[in-house]
Amino acid sequence: MMIEVHRLTKRYGENVALNNISFSAGENTVIGFLGPNGAGKSTTMNIITGYLSASSGWVKVGGFDTVDQPNEAKKLIGYLPELPPLYPDMTVRGYLNFVYELKKVTLPREKHLREICALVKILDVSHRLIGNLSKGYRQRVGLAQALIGNPPVLILDEPTVGLDPKQIIEVRNLIKNLSKNHTVILSSHILPEIQAVADRILIINNGSLVADGTPFELEHSMSAQHHVSVRLEGAMEEVEKALSGLQSVQTVRNIGEKEPGVWEYELTGKEGKDLRRPIFALAAKRNWPMLSMTSSDLSLEDVFLRLTGSAAVPDDLTKGRDA
Amino acid sequence: MTAIAKKELKSYFLSPIGYVFVGVLLLLFGFYYYQVLSVGSSSFLPQVYSVMFIWCMMLLPLLTMRSFSDEMRNHTDQGLLTAPIGVGGIVFGKFLAAFLVFAIAMVLSLIPIVIISFFASPDWAAILGTVLGSLLYGAAMISIGVFISSLTKSQIVAAIGTFGASIFLLVINQLSSLVTNTVLAGVITWISFDNRYQPFAKGILDLSSIVFFLSVVAIFWFLTARKLESKRWG
Repeated sequence: MMIEVHRLTKRYGENVALNNISFSAGENTVIGFLGPNGAGKSTTMNIITGYLSASSGWVKVGGFDTVDQPNEAKKLIGYLPELPPLYPDMTVRGYLNFVYELKKVTLPREKHLREICALVKILDVSHRLIGNLSKGYRQRVGLAQALIGNPPVLILDEPTVGLDPKQIIEVRNLIKNLSKNHTVILSSHILPEIQAVADRILIINNGSLVADGTPFELEHSMSAQHHVSVRLEGAMEEVEKALSGLQSVQTVRNIGEKEPGVWEYELTGKEGKDLRRPIFALAAKRNWPMLSMTSSDLSLEDVFLRLTGSAAVPDDLTKGRDA
Repeated sequence: MTAIAKKELKSYFLSPIGYVFVGVLLLLFGFYYYQVLSVGSSSFLPQVYSVMFIWCMMLLPLLTMRSFSDEMRNHTDQGLLTAPIGVGGIVFGKFLAAFLVFAIAMVLSLIPIVIISFFASPDWAAILGTVLGSLLYGAAMISIGVFISSLTKSQIVAAIGTFGASIFLLVINQLSSLVTNTVLAGVITWISFDNRYQPFAKGILDLSSIVFFLSVVAIFWFLTARKLESKRWG
């Protein structure tokens, strides 16, 4: 296990910031921390990296306890905090040199720093002052700083904040590439971002772990019912009646007229039944042009909202497996 | 530690602080050397340093005000504290850089004396003794300043707090005559930087004062390290 987090709790006086969080991560996996702002994502990351200490519980990185052997553990971690630790009065190159020395890296300096700059695409700004860089560039310098020394564990707190859509995709691809030989923990409150890169998602809310699983598992664990939205052209009442008459349909909801003569219906299937084929067959038989059909299973977004919106969560979501 | 000291030293001279500090100190030195020259006796040279004692104590807070305050405000302390080095090394690196800036000023302040030595024979033993004394109280004051800057995110608060400390240490011995309690009077004379510095100004290498100043450095180095660590437990 590269990272082991055991019953981590952090209290600030009366306020419980983290409540009994446990998980572990093996080599070469990407774990996504998801949660609304203030849920405890950064606190967890700060504890793993040794910036904060836990009120109780322990963290081991590469087998080293972060309290008993902090320097050994810190050596294995590259950390990009929420606000990248950049000195505005230094040049990018000067700063990376400083981090290189600070981390006591022994890799060949020129080659190593050049590789990292090329990887995060900051070669063209390497002689500029950090204070004059745009937010996107600063974020990338922060990422570069985390990569120095090639640590096996990367902890990235909201790595794509402040980047434009093109850069976000670049960073995502970068993380995917890095995950081939790194353990990556990244956090975000934006779901698609996590969905795109994570092998496993941990959802944190109010300091507690409310779900832990692969994106697929999370999507399918919340609901066994099949939802379909369909747009059909044809007399509304007749269509609605015919749809309700289908064998596997449980409920039909009329969403309204979306285009002239076209109504949208939302159908819920009976447990375990796929509705798409019967609907198609029906539409074909009655000669109702079908203008669109989307299968709207509970998306991760819904799972997320449901989990973070209410306290009642099924137990089977937090069973806490290893990746 | 060396990485931090190097980076700090660079940043002193990337920003105006380093130049202003060294420049203003040398300007003041120049002013007093000029007075010595107009009197025309090199025997007054060591006294320049005793006069400069007050000025140095006044200017040293400017050197340390940003040391940890700035790191905390820019959130760069997070980078330092998650690097694989101990807090002791971080603090010592900061201290060392500020001390080196002060030492640069002190070494440069010797240039006029070197020039004067071509025409007269200054009392080098007394002069070097007083420079050593200056370096010692400077180190102690810097250590205190670094500690105070670790207490606040605001450079201004750190500067004013350190000013307060340095003024206190300068004037406290004036209190000793007012205090009737002998124990308290003893403590006051014991911690007064002025009292501790006087032997050096007279050309005496006072071991107890050397130990005193080095102890102040060590105590505040330790306190700063604990302060940084306490952040983890907050």
